[in-house]
Amino acid sequence: MRYVIVSGGTAGVAAAQKLRALDPAASIVLIEAEPIPYYLRPGLIDVLAGKKELAEITPYSRDWSEKRGIEYRLTQAAVSLDLKRREILLSSGKIVPYDRLLLALGAEPIRPKIPGVDLPGVFTLRTAADVERIRTWSAGRTRAVVLGGGWLGLEAAHAMRNFLEEVVILDRGPWPLPRQLDREAGEVLASLLREKGLEILRETEVAEIRGTGEVREVLLSSGKVLPADLVLIAVGVRPRVGLAKDAGILVNKGIVVNEFMETSVPDVYAAGDVAEWQGRVYGIVPAAREQALVAAQNMVEPGSARYQGTNPSQRLKVAGVELLCLGETQPEGGRLLEERVRDKGQYLKLILDQERRLRGAIVLGFLDLMDDLERLFREEVSLPQNFIARLTKCRNAESDFGRFAAHKRRKR
Amino acid sequence: MQKWECTVCGWIYDPAKGDPSQGIEPGTAFEDLPDDWVCPECGAPKDMFQPL
Repeated sequence: MRYVIVSGGTAGVAAAQKLRALDPAASIVLIEAEPIPYYLRPGLIDVLAGKKELAEITPYSRDWSEKRGIEYRLTQAAVSLDLKRREILLSSGKIVPYDRLLLALGAEPIRPKIPGVDLPGVFTLRTAADVERIRTWSAGRTRAVVLGGGWLGLEAAHAMRNFLEEVVILDRGPWPLPRQLDREAGEVLASLLREKGLEILRETEVAEIRGTGEVREVLLSSGKVLPADLVLIAVGVRPRVGLAKDAGILVNKGIVVNEFMETSVPDVYAAGDVAEWQGRVYGIVPAAREQALVAAQNMVEPGSARYQGTNPSQRLKVAGVELLCLGETQPEGGRLLEERVRDKGQYLKLILDQERRLRGAIVLGFLDLMDDLERLFREEVSLPQNFIARLTKCRNAESDFGRFAAHKRRKR
Repeated sequence: MQKWECTVCGWIYDPAKGDPSQGIEPGTAFEDLPDDWVCPECGAPKDMFQPL
């Protein structure tokens, strides 16, 4: 049996290891477009910040693949896929045949069609090479504008403050991390970021990136002009579906897979950021790994494993600020009660039902309460009146939390 | 029991919680995790963790 995997990110590497564990005799080929061996993508932020070397986020030594008998081909992009002949054409001109194929092609940054987006000095951030380019460009430069107030935009902006004097974040939304946070938590986060020297301009649209020869300024649709000698675009990613689509595999947002991680074509599987399962493209490491393990099991023995979805992590760290988001964080309608405490850079919101059981929470700061709140959420116990004030007062008797505690009954 | 932190992403392995995402029961010491266990958040292998 000959298994081929393109390419070698989280999903690809996890699948290669699982395939080897399940089928010691099989031939396994792992094809990767990047020139360097597998690294842990979430660690790139620290490399951008200059806190870590690439080697420190590279988990396996050079002989990792050799020892496992995995044929690891770097600097090889898959150009086209011939489903009839069961072959992949690589950028080197080589043709790789397969019996069972895993498409773990990942995602690529979205580059919106703004005038000036192709000027030198405009970057996206996804790979180690991107980090290198941004750091090289930054030498002798001082001002960056970051497009996008999501997790990556905030993290990258925070990292770049280590070597740039001014970093401004432009966000289309009314507050940062709108999927995770409510308005008030978003405001607390924005003020914390401001203290770290990161300004967020909210509800902002970019009209044009300007410069002659290289980027010089960003024009907003409001008419305002921001000077910039570096622009980072972090407005999201899209699944890398081109190869599959051209070959005639069913593609929607991502490559459509069933619970066995099979695509619309027999013996072709997909996993990770490129895969769409039940209408969902996860784009998170735990989902990529879980899908890859399911795919690998089915590639060895079809029908032997089912994917049942991944629960996204509830904890998040952004620009040095820790967050916990449980259950429903922004309930709409229904008879739910909200209790909130806001105090100097900390925010806690509990969402309780009629029996005062915890149905959701946003925790920003209040680090030592996170474990307890996770437990109370799991255990579904009724909480006493004034719980939030007692909880936060117990922790720090000097703070006058009671004064800020607000009760608000939501009506349909 | 000893907690361990991922040096890449900062995720903390707490033996009291285990790691349900990889079938690790609460009460499992870090040392007893299987060799192929990885950080659930970033994929770092065991040797990239350090005791807290």
